[in-house]
Amino acid sequence: MSDGPHRNLERSMSERLRNVVTVTVVAVMAVTLVTLVVTDRSQPDRVQSIGQRIKCPVCQGESIANSPSAMARDMMDVVAEKVAAGETDDAIIDELLGSFSGAVLLDPPAAGSTLVLWLAPAIALMLGVVVIVWWRKHPTEHRPSPRPRARRIVPIALLAVAFGTIVVVAGSFLQDRAGPASGVAAIDTENLDDVSNETMKAVIAANAGHPEVDGMRLALAQRYFDANDYRLAFPHYLAVAQSPDATDTQAVTALVRLGWMAWDGNAEVETALELFDEALAIDEGSVTARYLKAQVLWCGAGDLDEAETLMQDILIDPDLPVDSREQVRREIEAIRAGTACK
Amino acid sequence: MLAFLGSAGMLVAVFGAGLLVWRGVAAARGDGAGDLIGAARVLIAGAVVAMGAMVIALLVDDFSLVYTANHHAAATPFPFNVATAWAALEGSIVLWGLVLAGYTWFVAARYRRSPDRLGAASLAVMGVVAIFFFGLMATVANPFEVCVEAAEIGCVESSWWPFAAADIPSDGPGPNPLLQNHLMMAIHPPILYLGYVGMTVPFAYAIGALALGVAGPEWLRRSHRSTVVAWSFLTLGILLGGWWAYEVLSWGGYWAWDPVENASLMPWLVATAFLHSGIVQQRRNMLQAWNLILVISTFSLTILGTFLTRSGTINSVHSFTQSAIGPALLGFLALTLVGSFLLFATRAEVVATSGRAKTFVSREGAFLINNLLLTIYAFVVLIGTTYPLILEAFTGTQVGVGEPFFNRLAVPLSFLLLLVMGFGPITPWGEAPPGLLWRRTRNPVVVALAVGLAAAALVTRNGWVVLSITLGVFVIGSIVGLLFEQAGKRVAKTDQRLGQAIRAVLTGDGAFWAGQLSHVGVVLVAIGIAFAANLGTHLEVDLEPGGSVEFEGYTIVYESPFQQSHPSKTTIGSRLSVLRGDRLVTIAEPAVNIFNDTAVPTPEVLHGPGGDFYITLLDIPSPESATLTLDTSPMIWVLWLGGLTTVAGGFLAMRARRHERRPAPEPRAIDV
Repeated sequence: MSDGPHRNLERSMSERLRNVVTVTVVAVMAVTLVTLVVTDRSQPDRVQSIGQRIKCPVCQGESIANSPSAMARDMMDVVAEKVAAGETDDAIIDELLGSFSGAVLLDPPAAGSTLVLWLAPAIALMLGVVVIVWWRKHPTEHRPSPRPRARRIVPIALLAVAFGTIVVVAGSFLQDRAGPASGVAAIDTENLDDVSNETMKAVIAANAGHPEVDGMRLALAQRYFDANDYRLAFPHYLAVAQSPDATDTQAVTALVRLGWMAWDGNAEVETALELFDEALAIDEGSVTARYLKAQVLWCGAGDLDEAETLMQDILIDPDLPVDSREQVRREIEAIRAGTACK
Repeated sequence: MLAFLGSAGMLVAVFGAGLLVWRGVAAARGDGAGDLIGAARVLIAGAVVAMGAMVIALLVDDFSLVYTANHHAAATPFPFNVATAWAALEGSIVLWGLVLAGYTWFVAARYRRSPDRLGAASLAVMGVVAIFFFGLMATVANPFEVCVEAAEIGCVESSWWPFAAADIPSDGPGPNPLLQNHLMMAIHPPILYLGYVGMTVPFAYAIGALALGVAGPEWLRRSHRSTVVAWSFLTLGILLGGWWAYEVLSWGGYWAWDPVENASLMPWLVATAFLHSGIVQQRRNMLQAWNLILVISTFSLTILGTFLTRSGTINSVHSFTQSAIGPALLGFLALTLVGSFLLFATRAEVVATSGRAKTFVSREGAFLINNLLLTIYAFVVLIGTTYPLILEAFTGTQVGVGEPFFNRLAVPLSFLLLLVMGFGPITPWGEAPPGLLWRRTRNPVVVALAVGLAAAALVTRNGWVVLSITLGVFVIGSIVGLLFEQAGKRVAKTDQRLGQAIRAVLTGDGAFWAGQLSHVGVVLVAIGIAFAANLGTHLEVDLEPGGSVEFEGYTIVYESPFQQSHPSKTTIGSRLSVLRGDRLVTIAEPAVNIFNDTAVPTPEVLHGPGGDFYITLLDIPSPESATLTLDTSPMIWVLWLGGLTTVAGGFLAMRARRHERRPAPEPRAIDV
């Protein structure tokens, strides 16, 4: 029993020794670990990391690194070339944003209109710290009365109403953004079946130059086209093909139709092929453009090899409607057999 | 007939919800007793009939319903025909209503066992929410409209009147092909909704407590179980969404900070903060006002998420056609925010708790830091998701906010959270003695650094991976250390063996240890993400038949293209031999499924203990070639395992919490 204090002393000595050893070991290991990590020479994949910073122009919120679309993959090829050429990240990104319209940086800069994005979280964090520190120092005094004081309600209610208004206003803006533009809002451009040609003409005349009008023009032109009235269809397809607001799909449709009319109406093989190529320059995957080009090559230019290659190309294209496959296959047989086209 | 049945169910549900509000308010104003279970039964009966009518219509191909005509096709196979019931806007609201009715019924059953004013008020709040959702169904998102003018495929003109003379189309276009590609589509939405909608329960109790001016942790205690259930399902829903994206949709990734993903992450983050700060209120009688704010925010974020994804404001696989549901949801969101915070502001003095953290070096201090980090995290996601929309709406300026932005802020926040997660559970309440904290920290720190060093020496020197492993081992080490410390104490006091003692400790505070299991899961998720995000490799290649490519030790030989026709789709794919050295590992068949005109790729994923090898058929540029992308995702299974572990912790906590109810002790230094 008499050696109790001695043993305690011994224990605290050994405890202290253990602490010293632990601290030393921890320090040595931490320094080694940091050194190992800092001297890591394996480079991150620059092509991927640049690709992740650029939004794919034809996709919905995907970066070009993640999108499987043809355009995104072309852009990734450009990035890879430039990385191999030793250009800096910023230079590559500037060039891409300059040369592909619709490409947007997904990594907003801490400047201008996106400065808020970076500042707000920092401010929120600081505010949070201030609030917590203040809260700890200021205990609430309990008031058992359930009746709130009326004069406090007024400013709070005003604030709440103001906030609610902001939410609703902001939201209705968002809704508008998704809806059709106001100029042609009265007519649903998606469903034109019930609209007469006269109405369409009037709407187009009233809204000439408005981006939303291209869809209407295409629908009207389609009717003339279907009725074999190329003369009336022509100006509308031409307008859409030249319209700066037309979407890629609309432009391709217009160019393809113009090409077909050039061949079918005027037997202008060269013009037709040029127009198809123009359409394919916008969307190299367009099945219609390739199909019609193949038809003109077959029937007009007599270039059977080229026509067959194109047709086979289409046959395995996932965009080709399933029920059209049989027809394409039959026509390939016909081209191979050297049959003249109808 | 089915239109009538469904409409009737819908209206019965609205009636039940109205009855619930009326009787609930009366009971809450009186002595608290009332027949609310009856009203809840009417509500759930109506919801079940509505959902049943919808499912039957899909099963029997009843194309007289506009919903069936426009979202279903006779060729759609089981179970996708049933799942179509929630594959489009109107149907998804029916599912939402059904789940809400289920939770309401559950709350009403508990109320019947012990009726009181708080329970009655909460049920009235749930009734209001139910009126809104079933009201949506009856007005702007009516799933039981009858087709009065059929197109060749689908329907162009509809009528809400169930007996209108129907013009029945012969077939419909079928559900969204992306959603038709995998069974997960049938499972993912109900699970996510069990999470989203479950957050209504704590919200209802919070509003009930505020309206009655009832202070104290009663509302929190009563809604705790529902919160844990909802949180667990929300976690599972997010996990399944990520797994689906990775395994089926062939994005090659599991998370892309897509607005729709963000919409589910925001309520998850705030609900997670709430689960933690709720413990502080129950144990230390503080933070009640903060808890109310968190609950209101969680509920509001679920509505905001629904608005963002369902109104067409954001285009994605989850958004449906433009409809009047956007303004309705937005109005409801504004009403919720204004009403709740107005109520909060006028009653805050009553419900505010007087407890304060003595020091930040304490369990409650760690919880405060955890809450700060989680809410800032949610705020980052919120601002990153909505700012581009708001900016474009007001100024027309287009800015992109994507992965790089989120990663720059979320990664440091996540590592800070991991650090706090390591210290929190081993820090005692009240005021932590520095000596005790040191004794509990030193071993985990040594082990974590040793494992980190081993990883750096043997596996990779990538900083993010090493940091996540080191921090992760620290978190797990401190949890295991705490378990052994407490079990050791038991062994010293009683005659139990170590195994028995460990079991006794685990069951003695089941909820705490279930939470720690979730922590382990989160650690695994972090490590899995660090590996996949930093050590994955990627290659895009064009191959012709007979051609081959070397990638990460594999040789891939393109054998031949193939094509298969099914009733609802055509599959075009590439047959590839995957070799390791000379040994054939497998024949891989990445493919593209074509539904009508839409192509949906299906990747081929080879799973292995070291990670996945992922092959996608990107394009078929000519009949004789295939464009493939090859990816490796090292250790990706750790991510899935971690997610499941987190969910398991949630479900265990839900079972455990019932057994231990501790009174809130007065602030003093307590050793866990």
